[in-house]
Amino acid sequence: MTLTLEHVVKKYKDFIAVNDLSFTIGKGEIFGLIGQNGAGKTTTFRMILDLQDQTSGMIAWDGTPIKKINRDYLGYLPEERGIFPQMKVEEQLLFFGELRGMKRDELKKEIDFWIARFDLEEKRNSKAETLSKGNQQKVQLIASFIHKPKFLILDEPFSGLDPVNRDLLKNAILLLKEKGVTILFSSHQMDNVEELCDHLCLLKRGVSLFSGSLLDLKKQYGKTKLTLRTNVSLNDLKKMAGVKEVKVERDEYVLTLLDESFAESIFDVVSNGQYIEKFSLDYLSLDAIFKDKVGGNVE
Amino acid sequence: MNKLWILIKQLYKQKVRAKSFILMTLLYVAIIAVVMFWSEIKGLFVNEEGLEVALVNETSVELEPIFLSNEDITFSFPTESIETLYKQLEEEKFDAVVVVEEEDEKLKADIATFVPLKFNDQSTISSFVQYAGKIYGIQQLNLTASEADKILNAEAIITNTNLNEGAADGKSEDQKQSGIWASYFVGIVIYFFIMAFLSMITTDVASEKGSRALEMLLVSVKPGTHFQSKIIGITLLALTQFVIIFGFLFVLLRVTDDGAKWEMVESILNELSYSYVFYVIAFLFLTIVLFLIIGALFGSLVSKVEEASQVMTPGIMIALVGFYVMISGVANPDTLLIKVFSYIPLTSGMVMPLRIGATDISTIEPMISLAVLIITVLALYIVSLSFYKRSVLTYSSGGVIQKIKTVFKVTT
Repeated sequence: MTLTLEHVVKKYKDFIAVNDLSFTIGKGEIFGLIGQNGAGKTTTFRMILDLQDQTSGMIAWDGTPIKKINRDYLGYLPEERGIFPQMKVEEQLLFFGELRGMKRDELKKEIDFWIARFDLEEKRNSKAETLSKGNQQKVQLIASFIHKPKFLILDEPFSGLDPVNRDLLKNAILLLKEKGVTILFSSHQMDNVEELCDHLCLLKRGVSLFSGSLLDLKKQYGKTKLTLRTNVSLNDLKKMAGVKEVKVERDEYVLTLLDESFAESIFDVVSNGQYIEKFSLDYLSLDAIFKDKVGGNVE
Repeated sequence: MNKLWILIKQLYKQKVRAKSFILMTLLYVAIIAVVMFWSEIKGLFVNEEGLEVALVNETSVELEPIFLSNEDITFSFPTESIETLYKQLEEEKFDAVVVVEEEDEKLKADIATFVPLKFNDQSTISSFVQYAGKIYGIQQLNLTASEADKILNAEAIITNTNLNEGAADGKSEDQKQSGIWASYFVGIVIYFFIMAFLSMITTDVASEKGSRALEMLLVSVKPGTHFQSKIIGITLLALTQFVIIFGFLFVLLRVTDDGAKWEMVESILNELSYSYVFYVIAFLFLTIVLFLIIGALFGSLVSKVEEASQVMTPGIMIALVGFYVMISGVANPDTLLIKVFSYIPLTSGMVMPLRIGATDISTIEPMISLAVLIITVLALYIVSLSFYKRSVLTYSSGGVIQKIKTVFKVTT
């Protein structure tokens, strides 16, 4: 069960929101759609959800055009939070579940499970408007997948959550993945994307700059991030061959190399055959790659 | 249960339990109760003493039996001189001293007061005096009592015959009067229901859109289903309120005054034809649905609930115009203004029942007006449905026109 987008275009009168977008998400995969504000993420989500028509191209679920599939297969958490303020938490979840074809008895079991997991037991009979922003978000998140969708879209699911709740959410997403749910999500917090995604698509003004596995994206840049703890001075480090930039972070230096092949010669110089406390060569962070791809500089 | 009914059930449950709905229904019920028991309530709070009137009859005719006392007015016939009575008037022993005398074979009455009388009291005394004047005139003709009675109770028998076979049968004055009352009532009902439920549907759609709950819903249901659920749900809610209010009214009418009030209503209803009742129900239902479609459509235009009142104004203004045209027709239902507005779909529901009930309208005219209304409802429903799909996920600022422009700009 895969979701496929082929050459999808969304044109408005005076601008193109999405231009020739193609990607495929396999069953049980977590796919990240990342891009700046206005990159076309929400428009893409809305086209997949059949809330908007694409101008051209094809969107299919397991080969069937998305318009023809059972809508109950889909789950969606919009970027801006939307629940019924006057409804109680349990009532709300029952309503959304029933609306998506779940039987009440089955729903109650699911509700009990997720309410306990998200630590909302005390709020079960509270009206949504009385909950904190974070709790409202948790309720809405549960509402988006309470009906056990096959495919779930999460638009900025982490915004507004504290670190504890962020972890709860991450674990929930991983649990859903284990259950075989295909997940597409967007986030501005690259560390979350990096932790959760198998594959991703990087959008800039409606155009895909990259689509594929996270590792492939990182490989494009190579292992050019060198972190070390040494007595060698900052000036000496800057003068070394292959060093593009040096930053001081607390008691460490973070070097950006022109190429990972320079790492060995730098190791020889800074260690000088002696013990060295830290010498770590890594891929660039997704955050750095994102900034570079969408117009910023590599860290 | 299909998705449409789940949405309708949720909307209905939420609204019927809402404090605003309960309070509004109770308010209507309270207003009806107050109107029905007005005289009793008035008696509790206003302890008005009856008017004390002294009558001095200086004519040769015995007029005293005409001036019969009742709970509002008490007549006495003192024998003291007029000057003495005027003094007593100043001392507020009487509210008025009425002196009747003959002048040129007519009855002349002078109503003397110290504290000016209220308009109602003036009218009451005047009507007694006017009646006494008639009796006095009859007495002057030396008629027997039965002859006098015949004159006073003489009423012409009027029948209506229309020689134009194509025209509808002429209605009697009683039928037209009943038609006016019934239509006035229907007009008020339509107006109040439009005001309450137009606002409810607009606010509801606007609040779902503003809170982004709509995006969650539209993943599961098509915009058309959502649109239908709003129209049906709010119509059911209107029917619920209708049943509660009119059920209460019916019970009150049957129970109070040993059913005398109900008999009065029955006499009005008996004058109404089945076709009139059919048209009234059809116009009532279709007009409410028409305004609900407009309300839902306008609610889908706004970005947040605070803007709902802005988009509601045109609908409310149109309903207001229809209402005032209908009110003007109560005095004279045959004007050109009434005729024109009885064909305009947004106002025909309030105006056409008045023409059907209170004028000799041909049978084809209400049919044309109803057909125009049905076509408008269907056309507006189709157009609104298509527009709703586009507007419901479009967020913009500015006035109504600007919002419509934005919808077209970002969805075409």
